[in-house]
Amino acid sequence: MNKKLEHQFVTELENNQNIVHKVCTLYTNDRDSHKDLFQEITIQLWKAYPKFRGDSKFSTWMYRVALNTAITLYRKSKKRIQTQDYESVIFKIAANEYDPQEEQQLQLMYKAVKQLGDIEKALVFLYLEDKDYREISETLGITEVNARVKMNRIRNKLKTILNP
Amino acid sequence: MTDELELLKKDWQKKEAQLPKLTYEEIHNMIWKKSSSIVKWILIISILEFTLPHLLYLVPSFKENMDIYDKLGLHNYIIGLTIFTYCVAFYFILQFYRRYKEISVLDSAKNLMHKIIRTRTTVKHYIIYSLSMIMVIVIMMIIGVYLNDDIFSIFGELRNKAQNISPEKIKISLMIGMAVMGVILTAVMGGIYFLLYGLLVRKLKRNYKDLKQLEV
Repeated sequence: MNKKLEHQFVTELENNQNIVHKVCTLYTNDRDSHKDLFQEITIQLWKAYPKFRGDSKFSTWMYRVALNTAITLYRKSKKRIQTQDYESVIFKIAANEYDPQEEQQLQLMYKAVKQLGDIEKALVFLYLEDKDYREISETLGITEVNARVKMNRIRNKLKTILNP
Repeated sequence: MTDELELLKKDWQKKEAQLPKLTYEEIHNMIWKKSSSIVKWILIISILEFTLPHLLYLVPSFKENMDIYDKLGLHNYIIGLTIFTYCVAFYFILQFYRRYKEISVLDSAKNLMHKIIRTRTTVKHYIIYSLSMIMVIVIMMIIGVYLNDDIFSIFGELRNKAQNISPEKIKISLMIGMAVMGVILTAVMGGIYFLLYGLLVRKLKRNYKDLKQLEV
């Protein structure tokens, strides 16, 4: 593959790396695994890049590859001891507009989301990313109706986890 | 009560600023690293499974053992069986290759999982077939021993060691021994195989089941 394509790809990924980091945050629990998964997603994106025709946005295309890698292709390379000091980005408190009560509720929500299954996480992730049900259903390969039904069930499940 | 998910959504988008940032060089280095995806592992294990049994023929002691088939009068059957085995193996490899090529990370999650499982199923069928073949050969050998009138001409070394035992008894012991060995061999090989793949695709199967359940 030529240098131009390589440069184009790395630049695109550099600009859109947030998407991959967010997937890694949801699907891993420590820094090393985060890096590992990021790398695997990058490899898969690069391998599939020649097939990217540009008829959709690069970022749209990334969601699919990143989620497929996290849910299906990724295998933990070795057993890891979960480091206690690691605080995932989503648990960090935003410095501005700090509201203790709201913050506590958010922390609990994030913890609850982390407890969901892989498929449920994918649905929540796409929802949080403001994707419509058509895109969610196409990414996962289910019908739009089923995506809605599942999302409602997850909503209820999260409510139960938060208010036992 | 406000919807918690909406609250989360607002916060989620604010979190972007805190995400790690990799440099151009860091990402560039990553694209040449080796993938450790499950598909790659399935490919490696499958190639091993297709080739290893055939490499056995290259081991000298295994070649010598082939003489037993001649002595048992199974020579022609074994040649026929070998030709059949290669045809079947070729068919499975072709099928495997076609299915493997269909796997694409650009598919929907469900299709991707389905195609990986289908590729693996091809190998699973090949393994079940191979294990049955081992059993067939063992059964053929047992029948060979049963139909043979002069057992010492095949297992010459037994003649001196077992002078006091009647040939009938030796024949029965041999047949039982072969049967037991055959079953153990099949069970061990099958066990290793299913354990290996079971661990490899456990997560995949669970997620596929979760997706399929949405359709009910």
